[in-house]
Amino acid sequence: MRRGRERSLLDREGFLGPVMILPAVLYVVALVGFPFFLSLYLAVSDAKIASATSHFVGLANFESALQSPTFRRALVNTFLFTLISQALVLVLGKILATCLLQDFYGKSALRFLILLPWVAPISLGTIGWKWMLDSLYSPVNWVLQATHIIGKNDWPMWFGERGLAMASVIGVHVWRLLPFSTVIILAGLTSIPKEVREAADVDGAGFWSRELHIVLPLLRPILTVAGLFGIIFAFTDMTVIYVLTRGGPADGTQVLASLAFFTGILGGDLAGGAAISLFLFPILLIVAILMLRVARRTEVT
Amino acid sequence: MPTPELNRRTFLKGAGVAAVAATGPTIIVKTARAKSDTLKIGQWTHFVPAFDEWFDKKYCPEWGAKNGVKVVVDHISVNDLRARAAAEVGAKKGHDLFGFLDPPPAYEETVIPLNDVVTECESKYGKLVNLAQRATYNPKSKTYYACSDNWVPDPLHWRIDMWGEVGMKPDTWEHVREGSRKIKEKINAPAGFGLAQELDTNMMLRGLLWSFGAQEQDETSTKVMINSKQAVDAVKLMSAIFKESETAEVFTWDPSSNNRFFVSGKGHIIQNAISAIRTAEKQVPDLAKKMALAPPAAGPVRRMGSEHLLHCYVVWKFAENPEMAKKFLVDLVGAYNDAFVASEFYNFPSFTKSVTDLKGKLAADKVDPERYLFLADAERWSAYPGYPGHTTAAIDECFNTFVIPNLFARAAKGEQSAEDSAKQAEAEMKRIFTKWIK
Repeated sequence: MRRGRERSLLDREGFLGPVMILPAVLYVVALVGFPFFLSLYLAVSDAKIASATSHFVGLANFESALQSPTFRRALVNTFLFTLISQALVLVLGKILATCLLQDFYGKSALRFLILLPWVAPISLGTIGWKWMLDSLYSPVNWVLQATHIIGKNDWPMWFGERGLAMASVIGVHVWRLLPFSTVIILAGLTSIPKEVREAADVDGAGFWSRELHIVLPLLRPILTVAGLFGIIFAFTDMTVIYVLTRGGPADGTQVLASLAFFTGILGGDLAGGAAISLFLFPILLIVAILMLRVARRTEVT
Repeated sequence: MPTPELNRRTFLKGAGVAAVAATGPTIIVKTARAKSDTLKIGQWTHFVPAFDEWFDKKYCPEWGAKNGVKVVVDHISVNDLRARAAAEVGAKKGHDLFGFLDPPPAYEETVIPLNDVVTECESKYGKLVNLAQRATYNPKSKTYYACSDNWVPDPLHWRIDMWGEVGMKPDTWEHVREGSRKIKEKINAPAGFGLAQELDTNMMLRGLLWSFGAQEQDETSTKVMINSKQAVDAVKLMSAIFKESETAEVFTWDPSSNNRFFVSGKGHIIQNAISAIRTAEKQVPDLAKKMALAPPAAGPVRRMGSEHLLHCYVVWKFAENPEMAKKFLVDLVGAYNDAFVASEFYNFPSFTKSVTDLKGKLAADKVDPERYLFLADAERWSAYPGYPGHTTAAIDECFNTFVIPNLFARAAKGEQSAEDSAKQAEAEMKRIFTKWIK
């Protein structure tokens, strides 16, 4: 009788399904949900890093953040950083995925190399780039000088000029996210039925016609999802900026995530830091909903 | 006998047993672990490796053996100290003693007052130097929230040969400006005053402000004073130095960058703790002979630099061994004759008599007896963040969000005039002060 009851519990989808998914739910609640609601609480309080008590202050922290020119610059930088890096990631990812779709000698090795930036710990990779673009000993500058791309007396300060610094952090971020995007897009490309391509070839479609009128429309759901992930990663990233520039020069690469860290953790104003980090949440939520709707609507039969 | 079939039921049973087997011992071990006689210390990885060698391998084991405790020392990178402290406070678990490199007034509510430790040290080892007292004492709560065992002077490092080319020495800030410009024009060697969002820049620029008679706050530590003619003049001077004799690399620096810049032989002047010249003495001894130290440059009002670092320990309220932590602190201050020498004169004593015959020790330097002698007066020309007030939590946030470095950097880059940059810094500081000062 007991064996019969046991058999029926473990065989019931309605019981087994939730049990199997429970660890993932607990993980999300504990490591994502709890910190999120804690941040919400902190953002409307006057909590400091070592304060035993805190009081409700409404939207004062958000108002205070908006008054700061540093915050306003960080907001603009966040959008610049995200939009430019994601545009590059999608375009370059599509190019790489298209190449990887072909068969050629050394494809496995190339695929491995492409995946390496994603596999390596981000801080380790970024420290490597910090040395590659160092103000004194940059190998990149050395190569540029040796190949006469820049003059003997030119030595770009990759983190010292505002434009170059932003380009550098965007470049490293693209380097880091490109494998992820490539893999997702490659999965999308391989799911396009071969017959569709063959039919296009038979009809005499050239490369660009095929790409623009067949491949990209079929890839739109995948590209939307890849873009959504990339936007969220970029909006919330601080590792690349913290390691490379610490938000400099003169807040030239400061983004909301790094500013929240400096304000809340290093500066001790937990509530202020939480308010800064949550500033983009409403925008990101709307972006996520819209993009997922677009992805769903463009499912191709 | 037939082998058992692997179906969903057996798999789930097996997985469940494996999960309990893996996690069970950790729960059992956790509850069974008793409090051990251990003193846990968290502090930075010293820029002079010889100090850590002495501290970890000689002093702590000997002290531990004498006091019947095991001393465990964890070294944390200078850039990660604050984040680590925040994590320990958040978790209410961590080290017994935690060493900061700049005063942590924001943490006052989570630490044990160390008034008794400071009183005992003063009775045995002389007065606490003024800059350490003002930086670790809260006059409102009458509490020493940290105890400083050492502080680090911030002298100029300059190249005798390069300055000799233009027949000058870096005595005043005007000398620095003129000499640096001439050296850059003549031999294309830049100056190295950082304008980056990092520790060294924070300290050096404060010294420049004070030497011009400017200050971040008033003596009561409640009023923001950064937007003054004196501050604007200091900003204009540094902007001129940047334009005439520096490169954009000074915006990219971290705490180790100016050391590398000077030791590489590229630059003709920096302002830093003596770790830069000590590194040169070891790695490039021939080049080091062309280097000299000097007090910070004098401004129109005074000659003043900041302490490069003010090392101070806190004892967390959640420390497992607070009494032993306090005893360690007192004894460490008492061992400063050895600590000072082990640090190769990097760590200056915060208690005036904890190092006997400071001048004699400086004069007995094995590498260059003349070089370090002037540091005996370093306290006379050194101050601390928040001078002439106290180092408060508001000043702490201004420090850690780089208000002063950005004040100078914006003007040097030409993004704002010195006046507008000072106004922006004032607004930012007032915004921060409002949050902390009730």
